[in-house]
Amino acid sequence: MKKLFYTAMCLVVVAASSCSKVDNYAAPSSTLSGSTIDAGTGQTVQTEIGGGGTRVKLLEISYSANPTPYYFQSKQDGTFNNTKLFDATYKISVEGPFVPIVQTDNTGTVISDASQTITLKGSATVNFKVEPFLRIEWVGKPVFNADKSVTAQVKITRGTANPAYQLDVTNINLYVSNTQYDGNNNYDPRYSTLTTYNGSDGTSLLGQTITIKTIGGALPAQDVYFRVGARINAGLDEYNYSTPVSVPYP
Amino acid sequence: MSNSNQQQIMKKYKYLILLVFLLAGVSACRKLNIPPKNIIQDADVFSSNGGIQAYMARLYSELPIEDFRYSPQRGLNFFWIISPTPATTGEALSRDQTGSMQENLGGWNWDLWSGSYTVIHDCDYFIQTLPKYASTFSTAQVNAWLGEAYFVRGMTYFALVKRLGGVPIVNTVLNYTPGSDVTDLKVPRSSEQAVWDQVASDFDFAIANLPAVNTDYGDGSRANKYVAAAFKSRAMLYAGTIAKYNTITLFDANKNQLCGIPASAAASYFQKAYDAAKTLDGIYSLYLSAWSPTDKAAQYQNFVNMFFDAGSKENIFVREYSYPNSVHGYDAYNVPRQLIGPNGYSAEVNPTLNFVEMFGGLPKNADGTLKTLDASGHYNLYTNTMDLFANAEPRLRATVIFPGDVFKGQNIEIRRGIYTGAATGGISPLLPAGSRSQYPLTNLQVSSTSTQTAYKLPDGTLMNPAGLSGIFTGDQTCAISGFSVRKWLDPNLATSQVKENNEAQTWIEMRYAEVLLNRAEAALELGSAGTNGANAADAFTVINQIRSRAGATQLSGVGALTIDTLRMERRKELAFENKTYWDLRRWRIFDKEQNGTIYKILMPFYSSQAGKYFFDARTDERNDTYTYDPRWYYEQIPQGAITKSTNLIQNPGY
Repeated sequence: MKKLFYTAMCLVVVAASSCSKVDNYAAPSSTLSGSTIDAGTGQTVQTEIGGGGTRVKLLEISYSANPTPYYFQSKQDGTFNNTKLFDATYKISVEGPFVPIVQTDNTGTVISDASQTITLKGSATVNFKVEPFLRIEWVGKPVFNADKSVTAQVKITRGTANPAYQLDVTNINLYVSNTQYDGNNNYDPRYSTLTTYNGSDGTSLLGQTITIKTIGGALPAQDVYFRVGARINAGLDEYNYSTPVSVPYP
Repeated sequence: MSNSNQQQIMKKYKYLILLVFLLAGVSACRKLNIPPKNIIQDADVFSSNGGIQAYMARLYSELPIEDFRYSPQRGLNFFWIISPTPATTGEALSRDQTGSMQENLGGWNWDLWSGSYTVIHDCDYFIQTLPKYASTFSTAQVNAWLGEAYFVRGMTYFALVKRLGGVPIVNTVLNYTPGSDVTDLKVPRSSEQAVWDQVASDFDFAIANLPAVNTDYGDGSRANKYVAAAFKSRAMLYAGTIAKYNTITLFDANKNQLCGIPASAAASYFQKAYDAAKTLDGIYSLYLSAWSPTDKAAQYQNFVNMFFDAGSKENIFVREYSYPNSVHGYDAYNVPRQLIGPNGYSAEVNPTLNFVEMFGGLPKNADGTLKTLDASGHYNLYTNTMDLFANAEPRLRATVIFPGDVFKGQNIEIRRGIYTGAATGGISPLLPAGSRSQYPLTNLQVSSTSTQTAYKLPDGTLMNPAGLSGIFTGDQTCAISGFSVRKWLDPNLATSQVKENNEAQTWIEMRYAEVLLNRAEAALELGSAGTNGANAADAFTVINQIRSRAGATQLSGVGALTIDTLRMERRKELAFENKTYWDLRRWRIFDKEQNGTIYKILMPFYSSQAGKYFFDARTDERNDTYTYDPRWYYEQIPQGAITKSTNLIQNPGY
């Protein structure tokens, strides 16, 4: 019996001591923040939340010359902030509805690379000046009509003169949502007005005041946000957006 | 426990331990250079017909084809199909599929990445090993088996490249010795074009080495040279359309184009697709056993029978099932609600009005939509719901069960509700045109479940508000679109046998109609660049053969065949065969068709005042919105694969 007891004790000692190691590497705690800025207007480039919007690409080149990229998403307003990064040297770029930071020609040769390389220690801020495919600005605020539907007016212009991105405008959509996180991945299909354009029909609206009315009659009496998105068929066909605005229910 | 007892137990242990040591120690002294008895050796497999048949059985069972056991949600070879493929393409609506989706490559059962490379490894192993045992068999037999292994490998690369673009090409067995350097095992992705060319060369080897009839199985469940040629036409057409229509590109550091093919390569792929399709000319034919040029009922019956006739000369490559070893549950998931089987389900695939409107023989408005209103804007009234479909194209009737049509001897009753409002002077639409709101419940009798309370009609007879197969407002296990699918459903299966994992009808993966459609599409895409007879006139002839068999009107002339009409013909002919999903991808129009799209449905109502039926065409009452993200044209490489082999570059946007 005693023997058994000693054997058991030995096992306990072995088991307990093998658990005693603590993680000897501190948790990532450095901060990278910044924004994607329209080179023409100086404002941040609006995008959608989730996988369909702007994202930041980090290459940790102090770890490997050819590392697996690490991505995180930008916020809706075009700013980004990540507080859980390791101190390291990063090559940073952003991807989204604007002329790419890293451009390749049709044979794979890199023809321009505006990535920024920083050595992160504690915290750092990086801003990217980009040329959005399209700029969408409100013309006045959306207004409620007598029948409780809403009419909005916007003006869309190109944000780049780069000849490779003068493609036809394929979609101009007025999104209606009950949160400000309004976009192509989050809208109420009963009231949102989605329009697809063929050929140069959409392009001919550039620079003009475009009037869009919600569909489906009266909006329900609740908080409602409006946002206009438009896109060209470039890259991953992501949308450029106006700012989201809310109008008080009459 | 007493002390003596304990001692006895201790003693017992002592002997036991001694015994174990003796046994282990003594037997361990034997030499270990005999082959393990519990592992099947190469010689066991490769030196007999039976061994090779077993090897082949496994290769074929893992052949990645989208059959009765496939859905984008749960991947290949999985029994539970409740988010069916047609409900992701706009062909149908399903209660369990509420929008566009990319494939779930991890799957519930079958990891497409590692599963495919296992199959490729098994093919490579077979190709490397069989020649060592070649003296046991005739040369023709060895070549035929090698041809099959190349065929399976080509099919597997095809399954990978159509999803992911360029993938690693691994044509020799990779061996890992513990402790050795693994750099060579981290095979990087090849260019997309190189993988398509690999598919072509594997199929070419199969075509050159396979016999015209597979002597092991002549029924189309194993490959012959024409099977390989048919799949080559499918693959090369896919590659040609990618070269022509894809806009997403990705390069690696060595300038290999991992996603996308230079547009200049399109014509050569289309020509290869055409030439491969043409070799089947005269070997296979369209199924016409019960067909008559003048009788629409016969044309309809012929199209239904085609999916159940094992002797059909249209079947090129099939996957057979047999109870209880290899089964599916197609009927259980898809029969109309009133024929529901003993363990539930039913009505998972409900064809959309958008799909039905593609066909001829229906009253149409100028914009091609179904005509449900008269000139004054009131509903057209019908004595029977089938009256609207009286002249419908026979192929449509064989594909879709209309409200009121007959299946398994029953009238399939589909009714949204009873309209009790006034009917004199005509019935105005229940909702404004284009409205996405719910139907107003004034003057409307509906039923929320299949347990119904009958409504008393003005003449005193009783009528349930909804039909036996729906539509029930609170239970979507019914014909939510107003239609139910007919294609593939076994018309002779007793309802007591309509159960999951109980069905065994054959899946026809490749039939001659597709080969003709491949040929026509390749010819039309080539235009004046085509050789070997590939031209618009050939495409026109071929399309009219298919339309004639379908009971559709003939196209008037070559000029009437545009790429759009040809694509629509393909979608109509191959609907619900899990082909449209891939066609919409390779044409790169998925994101155009599913761009905030809500699909249309057709709701039959009975007017108690008029004593007649009317139909309301509207958008899906659930307001399920389909938006296809263009990045899905290239699926995400599983993160686990990149972690293991860090040379793999992820596709754009993931």
